[in-house]
Amino acid sequence: MEKHLRIELIIERMAHKRACRVLETAGMTGYTVLPAMAGYGNSKRWNRDTDLSASGDMVVIISIGDEEKVRPVMDEIGNLLGAHIGVVTVTEVEVLRPSRF
Amino acid sequence: MDVALSTLLSPIILFFALGMVAALLRSQMSVPEAIAKGMAIYLMMAIGLKGGVEMSKNPLTTDVLLVLLAGIILSFLIPLIAFVFLRLSTKLDRVDAAATAAHYGSISIVTFVAATEAVRLSGLDSSGHLVAVAALMETPAIITALFLASRGGSTRTKPVAGSEQGELVREVFLNASIVVLVGALAIGWIAGEEGTASVQPFFVDLFQGVLCLFLLDMGLSAGRGLRQGWRQLSFATVGFGIYMPLISSLIAASFAFVLGMPAGDAALLITLTASASYIAVPAAMRLALPEAKPSIYLTLSLGVTFPFNVTIGIPIYIYLALLITGQG
Repeated sequence: MEKHLRIELIIERMAHKRACRVLETAGMTGYTVLPAMAGYGNSKRWNRDTDLSASGDMVVIISIGDEEKVRPVMDEIGNLLGAHIGVVTVTEVEVLRPSRF
Repeated sequence: MDVALSTLLSPIILFFALGMVAALLRSQMSVPEAIAKGMAIYLMMAIGLKGGVEMSKNPLTTDVLLVLLAGIILSFLIPLIAFVFLRLSTKLDRVDAAATAAHYGSISIVTFVAATEAVRLSGLDSSGHLVAVAALMETPAIITALFLASRGGSTRTKPVAGSEQGELVREVFLNASIVVLVGALAIGWIAGEEGTASVQPFFVDLFQGVLCLFLLDMGLSAGRGLRQGWRQLSFATVGFGIYMPLISSLIAASFAFVLGMPAGDAALLITLTASASYIAVPAAMRLALPEAKPSIYLTLSLGVTFPFNVTIGIPIYIYLALLITGQG
């Protein structure tokens, strides 16, 4: 098993295509987008079924890569989160098939 | 008074009130998200088709074109007025005020659908081209808001990462409500009454029932939005959510009076101008002005102005239309 970095980005749905473009441009080999159901932040609860425009919905984007690719991605994600609602974390993970990343 | 009572006591409004009360009392009742979105598309298709069929019966006259132009002018103009009131009466900064103003210049298609039913219940006729006015009024307000926000200078030193040329234009001009509404209007216009006869049972007979279910869901959404977001709104901001539709309605009434519009059409133009968007504009604002706080503009338009318009506003706008046409 080999160590890689796992990006977990929770971001507003309207900005998720921008985040995906950042990941693709940086050469990340894959990512997965998941819907978020509900949450709490900035003193406000939110539910995905409150807003018919779905502009308030949040999604979770997960991507795994080696440090060389992930570090530049984080600079761009930092820029993205300067404008859009979201949080990002990076954790070390062990992967079974490193050639996939 | 009869108009106001018949509107307030119609099943549509009562279901909306039920949803809103249920959400405020923290009921677990909910309409599945996919069904709510499907119903929104159904309603826009139905109202677009109906408008298109009505338009196919009459030629496109100068009077109709003037009403379409009036709608565009109102959508450009109202955000300017809303912005001034927001900056004078609330503590919202330039970007939040511009984003909020955009919602009040654009329209709420659900309020329009509810008003169409209220106009019909009042025994008034309305023309199909008002649907085209609704579609035309969706976007100019966004352009005004971007102009207002940019006048203060952008705080961004470089473009947002991952942003792409044309994404905002796609969101503004090709969002689901515009595509469905304009598309259905064109199909109704091309096919005419005879051509659409086979789909009438689906789009006409079921319309009232689906509208009741949809407004129940809208009541739930509005109630939840208000419950979750009311702390973000100051007293002055909530006040704006109630007086701004009334100001807009007076401006639209003066346009309708000058154009000599019939009462039913005038009521719908007034309602469109007084309504605030909560579908197309919030999505566009998240791309164009991401610094603006959705907890302010969305809570205000969905949690304050929408319930006000659907319950109290529409009867006022119909009465205003009757007054300017000498029937009040």
